[in-house]
Amino acid sequence: MSGVQLKNIRKSFGALEIIKGIDLEIAPGEFTVFVGPSGCGKSTLLRMIAGLEDVTSGALTIGGRDVTDREPSERGIAMVFQSYALYPHMTVAENIGFGLSLARRPKAEIDAKVNAAADALQLTHLLDRKPKALSGGQRQRVAIGRAIVRNPQVFLFDEPLSNLDASLRAQMRLEIADLHARLKTTMIYVTHDQVEAMTMADKIVVLNGGKIEQVGSPMALYDRPATPFVAGFIGSPRMNLYQGAFAERAGCRTYGIRPEHITLSETDGRWPGTVRHIERLGADALVYLDVEEAGPMVARSEGHAPVAIGQRLWASPIAGHEHRFEI
Amino acid sequence: MTRTRRATTGIIALALAGIIFVIPFVFIGLQAGKSRTEAAMLAFSLPKAWLFWDNFVAVVTARDYQLLLAFFNSSLITVLSVAALVVLSAMVGYVMQRRPSAVTGLAQIFLLVGLMMPPAVVPTIGLLQSIGLFKTMTGMILIQIAYNLSFSTMLYRAFIATIPRDLDEAARIDGAKPRQIFFRVILPLLKPVTVTNIVVQSIAIFNDFTGPLYYLPGRDNVTVQLTLYNFQSAYATQYNLLFMNILLVTIPPLIVFIFFNRQIVAGMTAGAVKG
Ligand SMILES: Nc1ncnc2c1ncn2[C@@H]1O[C@H](COP(=O)(O)OP(=O)(O)O)[C@@H](O)[C@H]1O
Ligand SMILES: [Mg+2]
Repeated sequence: MSGVQLKNIRKSFGALEIIKGIDLEIAPGEFTVFVGPSGCGKSTLLRMIAGLEDVTSGALTIGGRDVTDREPSERGIAMVFQSYALYPHMTVAENIGFGLSLARRPKAEIDAKVNAAADALQLTHLLDRKPKALSGGQRQRVAIGRAIVRNPQVFLFDEPLSNLDASLRAQMRLEIADLHARLKTTMIYVTHDQVEAMTMADKIVVLNGGKIEQVGSPMALYDRPATPFVAGFIGSPRMNLYQGAFAERAGCRTYGIRPEHITLSETDGRWPGTVRHIERLGADALVYLDVEEAGPMVARSEGHAPVAIGQRLWASPIAGHEHRFEI
Repeated sequence: MTRTRRATTGIIALALAGIIFVIPFVFIGLQAGKSRTEAAMLAFSLPKAWLFWDNFVAVVTARDYQLLLAFFNSSLITVLSVAALVVLSAMVGYVMQRRPSAVTGLAQIFLLVGLMMPPAVVPTIGLLQSIGLFKTMTGMILIQIAYNLSFSTMLYRAFIATIPRDLDEAARIDGAKPRQIFFRVILPLLKPVTVTNIVVQSIAIFNDFTGPLYYLPGRDNVTVQLTLYNFQSAYATQYNLLFMNILLVTIPPLIVFIFFNRQIVAGMTAGAVKG
């Protein structure tokens, strides 16, 4: 098990700086998720750790070894691509064993390792198939198998689930979490989906515009977001965020309150408003209010809450769950 | 109603295409079976007496079995130059597609020039003479490679653009050196376009008339297309033998084409990596 250290890592494509100085310490065995909106540089950062992109400036160490200028294959990493990147002309077994065959390992050893990986991922009956005869989830598992046989110090995942449908995604989330629990290897996982980040991570790194917004455990980010960006990004449904006069009256530049931290009442409360729309999700319902002094506000209520469109309600924040930002 | 009309248009189109493509072949076949005087009239009619076999023997044995030598020469030129073309242009196409730089930009300009500018025959002959390759098979093979390299490279480059770069990167992480990435990952995926390329180039080179005419004169160097001159002269053209010769020369490329027809189309249209 090895940790990963990034020291003031920067990346420019031509004159355009994409990664603007990243300092990060990933502990051995940690499941770290890079999360952020599309285009913020998550993939670029991951590809720099993999060695697929040159580092413009800064230093990168894996397991205490400076690997800034090393080839990807010498860094002790394995990567799972969003597209899976399986070799189309090779069978599943050849795909998984390709790295070993390049390293000229004996055939018996390759077979043993491929079979062990296939066994762990329930791929044994598919070993002779070509990738095009596999389903999305199976391809995903082959890609993971190819990573496992490299016996890496660090696993890298770049949005590995974004090509799968919702139910398969939930299942693969679990499988990757299981894999981490079993191997206890350091894993770095890139996603734009905050649900994946919340459910899988030991540590979330929120990126925005090529910089780190905040680093912390999922619940730390949920409870104590450092910036309005993190507050809006982590948690679903999104936190209600307000600026201007409303925030000033609350004593800050930006005021935030999560939908689940708002109580609704028909008789009294802090903010009067009217119900514009209701989404009943089963266990709970999302109530979209037009609050007179603030504007739109979403509140989470229980599924059968007796509210109707056009109804006049009072919303109140639960004490201790309000967020005040000075930016 | 509309369906019958559509069928009718289809049949008419097929009939037209059939006439345009098949009639010349029938004509060649008929002429090849006639006697010398009858063929000289160039009429579209059945031969009075079928002399197919006699004409065949006459053509094959003409000038001390020159046709067989020509087949050997043409095949040698075709096989060697196509083999070199495939290997060279696949590699060049790969580098040009994957590593754009000032050098590949310049190479791109040369490729375009190679496609667009007609080759200048006299200076080429001068060059071949000065390096001692005029009238040699080696020289002819090099000429064929040079003439067709542009098209072939462009074909490969366009095809390689459809192969996701992720594959190169995955192989790199797996520990493949650039050479291994090309030979073990990329090259196997080029099979459809390589079949297309081999067929198209083979037929073009095998059928090339002017190339050997300019750069490969000499009795021992004869290629199939040049054997057609054997029966054609200013005073007496033996049309029956000429057409028999045409028939014999046309058949090998035709067989190749019919055989690989489907792969050619597949290679032209398909991307490398299917769903
Ligand atoms: N090879 C490249 N050349 C130029 N710009 C690039 C290159 N790769 C990525 N970028 C730019 O860098 C930014 C971040 O890209 P990326 O890391 O893929 O974002 P993310 O994965 O977070 O969606 C994007 O604006 C993208 O256009
Ligand atoms: Mg990305």
